[in-house]
Amino acid sequence: MKTNIKISTRNLNFHYGKHQALFDNNLDIYANQITAVIGPSGCGKSTHLRIYNRIFELYRNQKATGEVRLDGKNILAPDVDLLKLRHRVGMIFQKPTPFPMSIADNVAYPLKLHYKLSRSEIDDRIEEALRGASLWDEVKDKLKSSGLALSGGQQQRLCIARALAAEPEVLLMDEPTSAIDPVATLRIEELILELKKKFTIVIVTHNMQQAARISDRTAFFYKGRIVEVDDTTRIFTNPSNKQTEDYITGRFG
Amino acid sequence: MHQSDTIFRTICLAGAMLALLLTAGILIQLCIHSSEAWQHFGISFLWSSEWDPGMDAYGALPHILGTLLTTGLALLLSIPLAFAVALLLTEAPDWLNRPLSQCVDLLAAIPSVIYGMWGLFVLVPLMQNHVQPFLNKTLGLANLPGGSWLLGEDGYSSGFGFLTAGVILALMVLPYMSAVMRDVFRMTPPMLRESAYGLGCTRLEVTRDVVARYGIRGIISGIFIGMGRALGETMAVLFVIGNLMESPAGLFSCGTTIAATLANNFAEATGLQQSALFALGLILLLMSFGMQILTRYYLTRTGARRGENN
Amino acid sequence: MTPRPLFFRKAGNQLLNLFALLSISTALGGMGWILYTVLQHGTPVLSWDFLTSPSKPYGEPGAGVANALLGTLLMTLGATLLAVPPALAGGIYLAEFGKNSKLADTLRFCANVLMGLPSILVGLFVYALLVATTGQFSGFAGTVALAIIMFPVIMRTTEDMLLMVPDTLRESALALGMTRMRATLSIVARSARNGLATGILLSLARVSGETAPLLFTALFADTWPGGFFSEPTASAPVLITEYTTNSPFESMHAMGWGTALVMALFILIINIATRFIFHENKH
Repeated sequence: MKTNIKISTRNLNFHYGKHQALFDNNLDIYANQITAVIGPSGCGKSTHLRIYNRIFELYRNQKATGEVRLDGKNILAPDVDLLKLRHRVGMIFQKPTPFPMSIADNVAYPLKLHYKLSRSEIDDRIEEALRGASLWDEVKDKLKSSGLALSGGQQQRLCIARALAAEPEVLLMDEPTSAIDPVATLRIEELILELKKKFTIVIVTHNMQQAARISDRTAFFYKGRIVEVDDTTRIFTNPSNKQTEDYITGRFG
Repeated sequence: MHQSDTIFRTICLAGAMLALLLTAGILIQLCIHSSEAWQHFGISFLWSSEWDPGMDAYGALPHILGTLLTTGLALLLSIPLAFAVALLLTEAPDWLNRPLSQCVDLLAAIPSVIYGMWGLFVLVPLMQNHVQPFLNKTLGLANLPGGSWLLGEDGYSSGFGFLTAGVILALMVLPYMSAVMRDVFRMTPPMLRESAYGLGCTRLEVTRDVVARYGIRGIISGIFIGMGRALGETMAVLFVIGNLMESPAGLFSCGTTIAATLANNFAEATGLQQSALFALGLILLLMSFGMQILTRYYLTRTGARRGENN
Repeated sequence: MTPRPLFFRKAGNQLLNLFALLSISTALGGMGWILYTVLQHGTPVLSWDFLTSPSKPYGEPGAGVANALLGTLLMTLGATLLAVPPALAGGIYLAEFGKNSKLADTLRFCANVLMGLPSILVGLFVYALLVATTGQFSGFAGTVALAIIMFPVIMRTTEDMLLMVPDTLRESALALGMTRMRATLSIVARSARNGLATGILLSLARVSGETAPLLFTALFADTWPGGFFSEPTASAPVLITEYTTNSPFESMHAMGWGTALVMALFILIINIATRFIFHENKH
């Protein structure tokens, strides 16, 4: 059942101008699993993630070649509609990025963007998304106050709720807890585990314990190459590659 | 504290106090010299429309309305333009952005008298021969209700008037406003923009819903700065407004503004007329003051709200 | 859930792009048009005589604009001399002694108000102060008016430039046992001096084009600036006004364009020079 491949990357190369950042990446992401991407900083793990929704295209001189197939269809093809792609593939960033509007409006924003809904439908779905991000109980009495007024951990869960609201299929998380305190981090990790029932999740993390705690599979990146991909338990107990082992045991990185 | 430091500090303070002294001095001088007019006409000076040096009867209404109309037109024309220019300057590639930015900065340095001259010799004939006939006949706006007010009763225009002044002012304030707005747009955190694009927004949606909201304080102060300049601009308006002491009677009608009236009449005025002109100056000063205070109030109020939230 | 059709969202976005392009074309086109007109009408007039002879009443041969250019130069430099010392002192006060002080806040606000003040009101003020009391229009009155316009700009620029100097530099100077005065003047102001020079030059360029405050202070005259303190003095911007709106003669219009060209070149050169200074600062 868990062998359903959601995203399949083949021969992916990436350039920042003349500098090549990724080399021949091949990686399968399974549906309804959490795939962790680990590696020392600058190894290209974020770069790899940012190709899945083509957000890198906001910047000039950045170029990806190869194939990234989402449900079998190459998203790097020129005829792919970016708005639809990003609707299907949501993203959470290193720091919380609440929009400068109320909590309710933050969550309603992608809904209004992509769908025609009545007022009451929107209200229902705001609640659903906030519950989904286990934030509802904390904010239900102040939905009209600014999203910026929340604590860091709450802001990040608000951003998760916002990403959930539009019902994406894949959630990309780029070090989502790097700016958040340890207690709030644990809450978000619980949330991520809950979310994999409905979504396919790819999480970039520099925190190996985090990868070990929540992911089903782990990919180890080093200098733009994928050194090893395997079940998380295997990577952390019995890696087949020497470099992976050195990194896991803290000998470098 | 060392004694030389005390002296140093006092000298510096004296320099800074000059700002207060000048502000107060200008206010007081205008009050003193306009007192005769206020005593003579009372507060009704504000809404009287007469301007007759022969009868020594003066009123401020046409000048106030003219000032408001030209400023309003200038803002109406320049705000959307400045917004779009700023947006393009923010998102343009570097090789294009630098020369463009420098051009915009340079545009802001051109003296207003040159704008006025250009307006007189280029824009006035253009408005007379092309723009007004185009709006009037080709688009047929004159036949719409209110059209004759907008475009002139008889379909004739001298090319001078409020719309021409508004266009010149808009061109003048455009570089200021777009420079301020550009700086604001640049301050949006990249991650915030990315996360909006990441939800599947178009550029329009990102700009309208995230960038503009995030920088709303800067945008508003940019607009205020442009408004302050348009309000008090003398030369660019003087050349093209037509200098008629009458309240606005349409977009293509001639009229005047406070600053233009002052520039035209002050040097030769004496007695009550001079005092009335000082009174106009006082009104302009209070309008400019009011705007500044409003801006500051807005910024501190929203600043406080943001501070609480962080 | 019914999805919103992408077509309208994308069409809206394309409209924005189109509008942005149109806007920048308007802004640059307007500027290009203005500069082109100035060049077109101004260049034929330029000659050695034009730049070295004084202006004359209409019809007299051999007229130039040299007196107006000289008048502008004198008034602009005079205004700089008058405005810079107190403005620097005031800026130092705001930056070095004026953090979190109510008085400094008020003074800062006053400076902002002055910066936003319509320049013609400065003309009225100086008229009341210097012309009405002495009964004389004079170049000096014009100079004072321009100085009042310069003062707040330089004061605020000075403050901003000094605030950009890191506090550690201040502290290390004071730690060496310097007095506050020496620390500020020799260390802090020195490291901000390129920024200060830029600010002064830019505001000098700005006031050199100011017209409104001169209309009833310096007035205009067809003579060399002789009695600077007692006689009306010609200036380039007022000459343009006199020769264009207030004159029906084509030959005078042409001289107005020529003067505009000289002014525009002057401002262009100063702007480029400041950019050069500022760039040097960065390296």
